[in-house]
Amino acid sequence: MSEPLLQVENLHVDFQTYGGVVQAVRGVSFDVFAGQTLAIVGESGCGKSVTVQSLMGLIPMPPGRIHQGSARLRGQDILASKMIAGQDIRGSQISMIFQDPMTSLNPTMNVGSQIAETLEVHRGYSKSEAFARAIELLDMSKIPEAAKRAKQYPFEFSGGMLQRAMIAMAIACEPAILVADEPTTALDVTIQAQILDLLGDLQKETGMAIILITHDLGVVARMADEVMVMYAGEVVEKGSVDDIFYRSGHPYTQGLRQAMPTNNKSTEAEQTLVAIDGSPPDLFNPPRGCAYHPRCPYAMQVCAQQAPPTSILGPTHQTQCWLHHDMAGALPDGLVSGNEAGR
Amino acid sequence: MTAPSLSPEDFQPLQSSVSGQQLSRPSLSYWADAWRRLKENPRAMASLGLIAFLLAFVSIGPYLWQVDPSAQDLDQIGIGPGADRSVTLAAPFQPWLPEQQATTLDDNMLGFTLAMPATTQAVRLVWTMENGTRYRLYRNLFDPSDTGSFGLPLAELDRSYFEDRLDLQAGTYYYSLVMLNADGSETTSTVTKDIQVTRVISAAEALQRGLIESEDDAQLGMALELAWHPLGTDYLGRDMLARLMYGGQVSLFIGLFAPLAFVLLGVIYGSVAGFLGGATDQAMMRFADFVVALPFLLFMILFKVIFGIGPGESGIWPMLVAMIILLWPAPARLVRGQILQIREEGYVSASRLLGGTTTYVVGRHMLPNTLGVILVTITFQVPSAIFTEAFLSFIGMGVAPPTPSWGAMCNEGIKSMLTRPHELMFPALLISITVLAFNLLGDGLRDALDARMRGAE
Amino acid sequence: MLKYFAKRIVLGLVTIWFIASATFFGMHAVPGDPLAGDKAMTAQIRANLEAKYGLDQPLGTQYLIYLGNIVQGDFGISYTQENRRVNDIIREHFPISATLGILAIVFAGLGGVLWGALTALYRNRWPDVVIMFLVILGISVPSFVVAAISQWSLVGANLAAGTTILPIGGWGTVWHMLVPALVLGLSTMAYLTRLMRSSMLEVVSTDYIRTAKAKGLPATQIFSRHQLRNAILPVVTVLGPAIAGITTGGFVVEIVFAIPGLGRYFVQAIQQLDYTVIMGTTVFYGAFLVFMVILVDLVYGLIDPRVRVEK
Ligand SMILES: Nc1ncnc2c1ncn2[C@@H]1O[C@H](COP(=O)(O)OP(=O)(O)O)[C@@H](O)[C@H]1O
Ligand SMILES: [Mg+2]
Repeated sequence: MSEPLLQVENLHVDFQTYGGVVQAVRGVSFDVFAGQTLAIVGESGCGKSVTVQSLMGLIPMPPGRIHQGSARLRGQDILASKMIAGQDIRGSQISMIFQDPMTSLNPTMNVGSQIAETLEVHRGYSKSEAFARAIELLDMSKIPEAAKRAKQYPFEFSGGMLQRAMIAMAIACEPAILVADEPTTALDVTIQAQILDLLGDLQKETGMAIILITHDLGVVARMADEVMVMYAGEVVEKGSVDDIFYRSGHPYTQGLRQAMPTNNKSTEAEQTLVAIDGSPPDLFNPPRGCAYHPRCPYAMQVCAQQAPPTSILGPTHQTQCWLHHDMAGALPDGLVSGNEAGR
Repeated sequence: MTAPSLSPEDFQPLQSSVSGQQLSRPSLSYWADAWRRLKENPRAMASLGLIAFLLAFVSIGPYLWQVDPSAQDLDQIGIGPGADRSVTLAAPFQPWLPEQQATTLDDNMLGFTLAMPATTQAVRLVWTMENGTRYRLYRNLFDPSDTGSFGLPLAELDRSYFEDRLDLQAGTYYYSLVMLNADGSETTSTVTKDIQVTRVISAAEALQRGLIESEDDAQLGMALELAWHPLGTDYLGRDMLARLMYGGQVSLFIGLFAPLAFVLLGVIYGSVAGFLGGATDQAMMRFADFVVALPFLLFMILFKVIFGIGPGESGIWPMLVAMIILLWPAPARLVRGQILQIREEGYVSASRLLGGTTTYVVGRHMLPNTLGVILVTITFQVPSAIFTEAFLSFIGMGVAPPTPSWGAMCNEGIKSMLTRPHELMFPALLISITVLAFNLLGDGLRDALDARMRGAE
Repeated sequence: MLKYFAKRIVLGLVTIWFIASATFFGMHAVPGDPLAGDKAMTAQIRANLEAKYGLDQPLGTQYLIYLGNIVQGDFGISYTQENRRVNDIIREHFPISATLGILAIVFAGLGGVLWGALTALYRNRWPDVVIMFLVILGISVPSFVVAAISQWSLVGANLAAGTTILPIGGWGTVWHMLVPALVLGLSTMAYLTRLMRSSMLEVVSTDYIRTAKAKGLPATQIFSRHQLRNAILPVVTVLGPAIAGITTGGFVVEIVFAIPGLGRYFVQAIQQLDYTVIMGTTVFYGAFLVFMVILVDLVYGLIDPRVRVEK
């Protein structure tokens, strides 16, 4: 495979709160390739948003702190400074859309101007040029009557329309990477599909990479090329969509998969889930050893003592679990070992 | 692989996942949690301490400092804190017969001088008399050559002596004598003398004030000490400390009782409106809107003018009633909003589905959930009630004299601010401290009770 | 929007009518003849007055005459001030109060926004701590005390300098206005500073500011175009009550600084129980305040698109 566009290595982020230090992200590494979609999945609170926000410089500091790790965009560090060649990479190289479009736009500024702003700053467009381009972008994002809509304010838009506007804003400068943090969670199910389609279409047109955060494996199956599963601030498994769906090697991934509706004809995503017992750990004091062991049905003595090593299950597939250790017994049903994965 | 010291036992299943239960920190009840937060806020705790002190000052204070706040100490009028209390025992006042007494005149232009030592009984002045000339005599507290004006004259005279007995206090007075032209205009012949007045008291007076046991103890020239006023006295010689204590009772009573009353009224009104909903709610809120639109202080003033204050009345109740009538809508709106919000929450619908009666739902779910907001509102209303009292008393529309209140004391104190600043400063300081304490406590309470902050920790 | 404000204005007129009626019946509930005690009045003048204001008529008729007069903008005649017309008193003295008040509100508004933004930017660092300490003081010290202390300091400063740096009272030049306007605006400024600060802090942590950062906008542009504009909105909503506070606060400041404004006149009238002046000025002040609140709402509607479009 070609050189990665974005390389993140061993990222650690914590928050100094008055209840203690929250270790939100603990050693996350991943690569993003042009034209590909990387999905980050995991229960809420496991550090997905913090991971991408630290790349975008959106972590409030203090209380936040990136105390270890690196992130390089085409080889250039972007953690220390967001400026490359005198230009802010945010909005130009990497852009981001958020979970709640209703609150993510400035309520007192019309939508067109908010899109135009990006072009004025990064491309040096004049006000009128930028506004005209904003209308085109709204049109590209399939917003009807774009010219009229551009002059309206966010409260006059529906949630789905606002997310389209956010997407228009994000792609305005044709960024190499689009980060979408749960872009459909706050929307109606029918709208969700439309937004995902739009993202897919735009990706095909522009060749940008997408980092898609979701806790919905249905969305992953539909959109992603690669998947990274996070738990308690750590990556527990990484692999292609097929690796994760058909050859998962970690009990947590298995749990997530079982919690996904089996009958996809139903649009009610909440039906018949086999939930994972318990809830994610307190990141003030992550459990010793493997963070997942208190909830893991296959937990062994060692899981409570030492952090698991990385097991390579295939060319693109790796996981962190003691079950893959030579000394562990046979793998439980449903989990796949490296040898099997190779077949 | 990485750790060579692994043994097969390590790969035995983990017995129980007890540790799975230590998922979250111990959960505290809402109020316990709020109280914990409040205790961690030093400013809020300090203000709580201050409020406790102020309440003790006005409630227990009068038992410790048993001085009648309306008793006038005529020997010590308008004295500052820590003023000299010494007094000399002197013979009772005797009329002055200046013609029979020879005095060596000063060698100044007019020969203006004191005929005998100046005491609080009398200041006796003499000067050379040029026949047919009239003189004007001034008395000032400041050197008139500094202030550039003599003020109002004490007397206009066509003789060579003057006895001043007008309201004399211990201290320095500047007496200025001006010779007049025949047409009554002032000449440039002026002499100003600074005269030290010493405080004296007669044996009979000393006995009456309890400074000596009997008149037999009295010896002329004996040094005595007058009653102690730790914070001085006001312009009528009333003890400031005692007045501040009693005045504080009035100010704090209004400041605490009025918000309690109108917030309670508002809570009832707002919860009825919020709970009934529909057209009743609309009508009730229209009325609240109407009352809110009335200019508050203007109506307070109007109310006082209309109801006036009869003789012997303090004027506290009309003020309270007016505040309650005018100020309930704000808490009513707030509570109604909260009730409407809570109505939509799951647990309230659940409670209703389970057959909870209206009063049960309001009492069990809605009020406890709004209590925090109500508490914060009351705390923030205390300073404004105290300010309202002070403002009205300051423009003479508050409590009626002689009832003391901090605002009324400020009103009296401001008239003599330049000469006796303590009369204004002490009540002003107490008002400020009280308002400050309640503001800080309100801030602390709001932060402590704000449920949104609980999640963000 | 138009319909909304038409409704507001009608409601405002009802409020003014209520204020007028309350003052009228309130004053008539006070025992005694309003014309009694006035020595300077000849029988002829008295008869004319009685005819004009229907004082010899039943209360209902008097009320109608009174309302009619108010509609025509006639507030009657003062009983203690040498039979001056209340209208003249207002015309003469209100401009002074208004000048003082406008200066004070401008001062309070600009100061509040400036200090509030500054403290939010320097949150928990020394400029914030110092300013917020002063703000708490400004909120906690009654305005008459601030007025008294500043006058006292002026006296001291003038004495020390040996000349009049700034006049300690009275009215006439800009120099007379300076200190009273500062004093009058001070508590409002403190209050607005607090409001602006918390509003700024709230805006800083909103999602749309995060979006603006994610767009890579320069910090100055985020501040001016996104943060400030949204943070000022709550400040504008309280300008109505702030104007009311400054109007009544003016009573005190005018007394302390011996400024011949309407407020001082009003308080004097109250103390002398000059009923027509009380009635006239109350209705005037009431109408003024009610319409100021509507005006502020109108301005708010113009700057907040949510109100502009929806109402
Ligand atoms: N500003 C912050 N201050 C303190 N803790 C934070 C902050 N932001 C996030 N966290 C903590 O970091 C952890 C990960 O959060 P997040 O990345 O938002 O989870 P998610 O995977 O649902 O996106 C959570 O435990 C959260 O409480
Ligand atoms: Mg998230």
